[in-house]
Amino acid sequence: MTELSLIPDEVAARVGTEAARATGEVNRRDWQRWAVAVGDENPLWFDAEHARAHGYDDVICPPLYLQYAVLGVTPMSALRADGSSGAASGNLQFPDAPKRMAGGESTTFHLPAYHRDELTMVRVIDSIVEKHGRSGRFVLVTWRTTYTNQRDELVAEATTSMIARP
Amino acid sequence: MSEQVCFEDVAIGDVLPTLEVVVDETQMFLFSAATYNAHRIHYDKDWARDKEGYDNVLVQGPLQAALLARAVTDWVGASGRLVTFSVQNRATALPGETLLFGGTVTAVRGQGDGTGLVDLEIAGRRGETVLMPGTAIVSLPARAVIGAGA
Repeated sequence: MTELSLIPDEVAARVGTEAARATGEVNRRDWQRWAVAVGDENPLWFDAEHARAHGYDDVICPPLYLQYAVLGVTPMSALRADGSSGAASGNLQFPDAPKRMAGGESTTFHLPAYHRDELTMVRVIDSIVEKHGRSGRFVLVTWRTTYTNQRDELVAEATTSMIARP
Repeated sequence: MSEQVCFEDVAIGDVLPTLEVVVDETQMFLFSAATYNAHRIHYDKDWARDKEGYDNVLVQGPLQAALLARAVTDWVGASGRLVTFSVQNRATALPGETLLFGGTVTAVRGQGDGTGLVDLEIAGRRGETVLMPGTAIVSLPARAVIGAGA
């Protein structure tokens, strides 16, 4: 192989380090807007009586919404040319592999999250490797993420990956 | 409301009800808004075609994942719980396509605490094409527990 790596040295050096940390408030209206956009009208997300009848204190946040509760604000001038924001992933730059696609996610949910819970996300870069697939070379980045609430209880933990192609 | 499924009701090979969705651009817009996602590939057709080489804008991968999770949480009901959800983005989907979300039971094990854990193989598909394969673990109540309250 004489090809140069798609992974810049300064990016490779960040494996094992914290890529991002964010805190946000879980908000019922926001998760309900998300749920409606998914067409997911599960009464556990919408109907407090129903949720209480099934052992919860109140309506609960849909598990897959947790990752959005901690999103901060990105100035438009800080968006990449493709409009995406690297804020939640530590702004890893791959100049030779600019086309980005979500890879996969694996999340374990430990506790429900409620309206006005304060969630803290900590995301660490687990690995950055170059691979060769059917459609050519790509970079696979994997993060490990924890979500804890205001009582330092582990709400969820996730492994997430992203693919960047030339 | 449909009846609560209990882990004693479930056997390996059981198939979840399939969720069929045709995502349109309004749904994509709302999902990008709800997830604070300005990625052009989901709304800028010129960008998607000329810069990224796709035929049209792409349905968000996280929307496919959310639809797949919806198929699972609809099935487990209010006394069930999604424990682990793992998916890979394998292929892209375009607005207007008929997408199918569902799963199959691969293991069932009682926990001895009034619940059972069920392993699922799950997938988002377009016809025979698997767009998003994955696995999930769900917790379901025992029949004895539900019998008392429901």
